[in-house]
Amino acid sequence: MTVIAVISPKGGVGKTTVAVNLACTMAASGRVVRLVDLDPQNALRLHLGADPADQGGLVHQTLQQNSWHYAEYDSAYGVSFVPYGKVTEFERITFEAHLTQTPDWLRDNLVEMGHEPGSYTIIDTPPGPSVYVQQALSIANLVLVVMIPDAGSYATLSSIESLLEYYCANRGDFYGSFYVLNQFDADHPLNRDIKTVMQTVLGERLAPYPIHRDESLSEALAFQQPVGQYAPHCQAVDDIVQLTGWLQNQVDQADR
Amino acid sequence: MGEERRSRDRQSDRYKFGKINEVTTRLLEWYGWEHRYWRAAAMIAALLLFLVSTSVSLSLPGQALYAGIVLALALYLRRYTGTLFTLIMIVFSVNASSRYLYWRYTETLSMGTWLDTIFSVTLIIAEVYAWLVLLLGYAQTIWPLRRLPEPLPEDTSLWPTVDILVPTYNEDLKVVRPTILAALSLDWPKEKINICLLDDGRRDEFREFAKSVGVTYLTRDNNHHAKAGNLNEALKKTSGEYVAIFDCDHIPARSFLQMTMGWFLRDKKLGMLQTPHHFLSPDPFERNLGTFRRVPNEGELFYGLIQDGNDLWNATFFCGSCAVTRRSILLEVGGVAVETVTEDAHTALKMHRAGYTTAYISIPQAAGLATESLSIHVGQRIRWARGMAQIFRVDNPLFGKGLSIMQRLCYSNAMLHFFYGLPRLVFLLAPLSYLFFQAHIINASALSIAAYALPHLFHANVTNSRMQGKHRHSFWAELYEATLAWYIFRPTLVALFNPKFGKFNVTAKGGLVEKEFFDWKISEPYLIMLALNVAGLAIGIVRLFWWNTFEMDTVILNLIWTVYNLVILGATIAVATETKQVRSNHRVNCNQKAMLKLSNGRSIVCQASDYSEGGLGLIMPTPGMAPLNSDARVSLFMGDREFVFPAKVVFARDAVVGIEFENLTLQQQMDLVQCTLARADAWLDWGENRVIDRPLAGLKEILYHSMRGYQHLWHDLKDGLHNSFRNKTEDNAPERGLFYHKVESGPDDSGVKGVMLQKLGSFMRMGRNLLVRPGRS
Repeated sequence: MTVIAVISPKGGVGKTTVAVNLACTMAASGRVVRLVDLDPQNALRLHLGADPADQGGLVHQTLQQNSWHYAEYDSAYGVSFVPYGKVTEFERITFEAHLTQTPDWLRDNLVEMGHEPGSYTIIDTPPGPSVYVQQALSIANLVLVVMIPDAGSYATLSSIESLLEYYCANRGDFYGSFYVLNQFDADHPLNRDIKTVMQTVLGERLAPYPIHRDESLSEALAFQQPVGQYAPHCQAVDDIVQLTGWLQNQVDQADR
Repeated sequence: MGEERRSRDRQSDRYKFGKINEVTTRLLEWYGWEHRYWRAAAMIAALLLFLVSTSVSLSLPGQALYAGIVLALALYLRRYTGTLFTLIMIVFSVNASSRYLYWRYTETLSMGTWLDTIFSVTLIIAEVYAWLVLLLGYAQTIWPLRRLPEPLPEDTSLWPTVDILVPTYNEDLKVVRPTILAALSLDWPKEKINICLLDDGRRDEFREFAKSVGVTYLTRDNNHHAKAGNLNEALKKTSGEYVAIFDCDHIPARSFLQMTMGWFLRDKKLGMLQTPHHFLSPDPFERNLGTFRRVPNEGELFYGLIQDGNDLWNATFFCGSCAVTRRSILLEVGGVAVETVTEDAHTALKMHRAGYTTAYISIPQAAGLATESLSIHVGQRIRWARGMAQIFRVDNPLFGKGLSIMQRLCYSNAMLHFFYGLPRLVFLLAPLSYLFFQAHIINASALSIAAYALPHLFHANVTNSRMQGKHRHSFWAELYEATLAWYIFRPTLVALFNPKFGKFNVTAKGGLVEKEFFDWKISEPYLIMLALNVAGLAIGIVRLFWWNTFEMDTVILNLIWTVYNLVILGATIAVATETKQVRSNHRVNCNQKAMLKLSNGRSIVCQASDYSEGGLGLIMPTPGMAPLNSDARVSLFMGDREFVFPAKVVFARDAVVGIEFENLTLQQQMDLVQCTLARADAWLDWGENRVIDRPLAGLKEILYHSMRGYQHLWHDLKDGLHNSFRNKTEDNAPERGLFYHKVESGPDDSGVKGVMLQKLGSFMRMGRNLLVRPGRS
């Protein structure tokens, strides 16, 4: 099993969108993919057509000391997902305290879920450093950092790098961390400049093709569909397909 | 498909590594070749064999048997790849042709009546000329060098300074603009490049344009010596170590300098390096016959093979554009030559005489417009022919000092080639001397003519098809030459007797043929020859059945010859039927990824199918995605760089969308040229869809065009009866445009899989890394 953690330094960069669409693209090419939502916003499930009224999720199961099996859903798009769940503030605080005390919580649960050989688990996390990111980074084989091409994102680069250094760098099962630019618009000179600068700093670790700013992505969420389903010909789909292939390549290389 | 290819590979492997090849390889590696005496002995033996095999006289059955054996051998050996087998076939061909000529000279000259004598001598002179050009052609292209680009040093500070000179006289700014914009995008350190627009028209519009894009604008107060004078004047005002010259309508690819400059650093005696003139629009042959990109055009033999052949002998000619020269050497030979109207070839000749070298790289690194009508095309060729004849007179390459024997031969062939006018006319009319006047110009029986002439024709065609097939299809030379023969034979003869006569005429580009018409004026000579041949055919039939029944074989032979001539003439008629050009503004077909961003914020992946100065044609994934008249932005990609252009949707039908660019800034115009016409790989796989030449297929195609020519002529004659002057009063006020025909270009940077690329092999990979943009961020 390959675990991919999707993180971002700031909110609103489209991290969940990237995670979901990455998973669906992988599934479309015949891979078994499971999505795990560690973000208290509990929004991942909405991309996959889940019933907004459904409150179930991994928090409830954890607090009730149940297996995640009871929180896993199948989507119509070839991926299964474990939502965070709709929780009260008290439940969240209790849960996060539990995570702090149980650093191996995520690993144990994933092992307990079992997996098919060659399958992928993609973990969505809340923006910035948190106990969730800590859990995800500790076991991820591969980290995808989603950035947007603005000065604010670029400024957080060093803190993300040190986070990665702390949790991942020395693990033998860690393949590497990679960056992707989301909401890219070549028409804005600043976007192009930041892309150039990031290419210089990150080199091969920056995905060669950014994901373009595309209204279809927002529209797809409104229709509760992955964008590949909603607008198969839009540029963002093409970009995500490229990104998926590129990441797949990184995994294959690491395997060898 | 895969299976078929594998079996083909196996087959070609067999011919590559077959037993014969092993034997010959051993022969090639024989130590004796290194030894002077062995080499001399081999030469003498070869010469003796040549003389014997040419002159030994055989009985008719003997000759037939000998010819049959050699023919069979040639057909068998033809299957093997490799230069050695080409050489063997050349030997066969030279033998067959020489034998034929020797026989013609010794046994068939008929000096019966004065009429016989005149016709007979004329014909044999034409045949000697054809034989000479055949032999010189073999020598010239015996072993094309196929030079690859030489890498430049990693350190860009070691790269030399270059002046880019773009001479213009009366061309429209619309034609010149993309050339200058592309020159500005050349990948070369900015402080080491100086782009100069040399305006002999002294136009304010050009001055302002040059100022706005930041290139040097140069003029002079006279127009002496036309283009050559213009360049020489600019040489005085510039100082770069190298001078690259582009005609004002030749758009350089951004890689041009990096592909060419390496050789100058390696070979200090290199004075000039030429690259092909590539045409992105069809010339009149291609347009009027509808063969664009399918059949190699007239110029391709020269740029695809002859220049590469010349390169082996250090005899590459300068062609006036798409070339780099070393300033010191250019100045040493007195700048660009002004004595003749083909200043370029003459300049290279002077460099060779002074002991310098020239080089050729057969990778299209620039593209321009072809001549757009037959009359203009003819005008251009007349200039070349006259210029070459002038050089032949004023600075004959056979004499004078400084040239190697092979350089002399290469230059002589280039010049002799342009004297084909008269011999071609002789061949087109020769059978008439018998059909009209019953003059026996070849004093032999039809059977013995066949026994000698057929091997000569057959070997020449098969061997040339092998050597030139990729760049000139069989029998097309007949058409090209027949079309131009009448027009160039006079100026070449005039220049031969009075080289000072005649002036430089600028080749007009960018006009528009508005409606299909038959160019009666330019086809006059073909029509006359056609009428004569038709009359000959009619008389011949009468002779065959009534008048000359005692020598039916001679009549039949002359009739066959006449029919062949009629086929060629019919095809020239087809060339003279100018098909209409649909638009004044271009259409360069392409196949590259694009993105259309609509005003509603959606971005759609699409495919750019053609581009132009004004807009793009896009193929959308599904119909109805882009509403008409909506604003949009189009992205084009180059590697991982993306360029965005504001646009408006002006056409939408099914999945095809046409957009027009709106208010492009200067930077955007430059970016657009760079993403499209100036791409490093834009012209690499141009010939990919070509059919492979087979001699009979070539003949069949000519036959097809000939039939179409007669069809056109018939319709025009019929129309002409109704409205006799309609077609003669065509007035085509040329509306100028950048490009104006449907033309195609290569795939995008990321997916180059051209034939040329395979040829380039690993260099291109290296070249790609070379294509960093030094001095720019």
